[in-house]
Amino acid sequence: MTGIRLLVAIVSLVALAIGAWLAFSITTRPALPVSATVLPAPVELPPFELVDQAGERFTRADFEGHWNLVFFGFTHCPDVCPLTLKVLASARAELAAAGVSPLPRIVFVSVDPARDKPELVRDYVAHFDATAIGLTGTEVDVRELTDGLGIFFNRAPGTGTNYLVDHSAAVLVIGPDARFRAVFGGPHEVGRYVADLPRIMGNS
Amino acid sequence: MSRRCLLALAVLLAACNANGPPLVVEDVVVTRPVPGSAMSAAYFRLHNPGREPVVVTGVRSPDFMRVEMHETTVEDGISRMRPLEALRLEPGETVEFRRGGRHLMLAGPAADAGPVTLEFLAGDSLLLSVSVARREGS
Repeated sequence: MTGIRLLVAIVSLVALAIGAWLAFSITTRPALPVSATVLPAPVELPPFELVDQAGERFTRADFEGHWNLVFFGFTHCPDVCPLTLKVLASARAELAAAGVSPLPRIVFVSVDPARDKPELVRDYVAHFDATAIGLTGTEVDVRELTDGLGIFFNRAPGTGTNYLVDHSAAVLVIGPDARFRAVFGGPHEVGRYVADLPRIMGNS
Repeated sequence: MSRRCLLALAVLLAACNANGPPLVVEDVVVTRPVPGSAMSAAYFRLHNPGREPVVVTGVRSPDFMRVEMHETTVEDGISRMRPLEALRLEPGETVEFRRGGRHLMLAGPAADAGPVTLEFLAGDSLLLSVSVARREGS
């Protein structure tokens, strides 16, 4: 009789332990991003060579060692480009205030390299975030990167230097291994980045 | 009611309509240009208080080189800006110009501070002139 009681007690304890372990493992499993789409397999960046805001060469290797939020736009864009960069800068500031480390870098890639010279890009990106990087180059150079990532841009009809550029609205997350890992499709809202970035950066 | 009275009433109503503002603008925000870009935007709410449709064919400003009515759309992940040639407001209709949607593109400002005047036009006639004292960061 005592033996049976002992057996029941042992089985109960083991069951309790398994239950507790299961509950613990489920609740501590890292949460998945809500707004961003994480690529099932990270995508290798194509080889490319652009010029940063200081006029220095910037290649695939320069993405390494940092998390990067990459947005494609142009400085003559009065509405959606400042809006998106402002959201990224605010999200980065909120993550910094929350003690998130490392913080992602903001990388602006010009899809209007004819007008966006490095010194213009420098002043432009610094307005949003002092640590932001701004890349430009020749159109051929920019397309080396954008074509490899499936990023669209196209000059819309216009006259002379008065024209608009259609471009992908996405923000790409490029990891410290210089691989394209996730994408925010928009609408771009600060809360979405603040919620998802720690999940994306923590899960990789 | 006599015919004369009716006629007088009709004239009075017509006069009321003619004297009221053809267009009302509210909550105007004009951004300061991002350094280097020389591009600003204006956002507001337009309302047609009258009994006739109003067609805004353009906006001009003595404070900028060029003013264009634009609309940003995002379709299939592609952001596009297109000039709005004309904007028709039905009687009583309100139309929003807001970030990420319809906006005025203000190109080449002489200064990034100070008041800004915007003049809404129907062809050659002035529908509305508004002065904005305060500008916001982009």
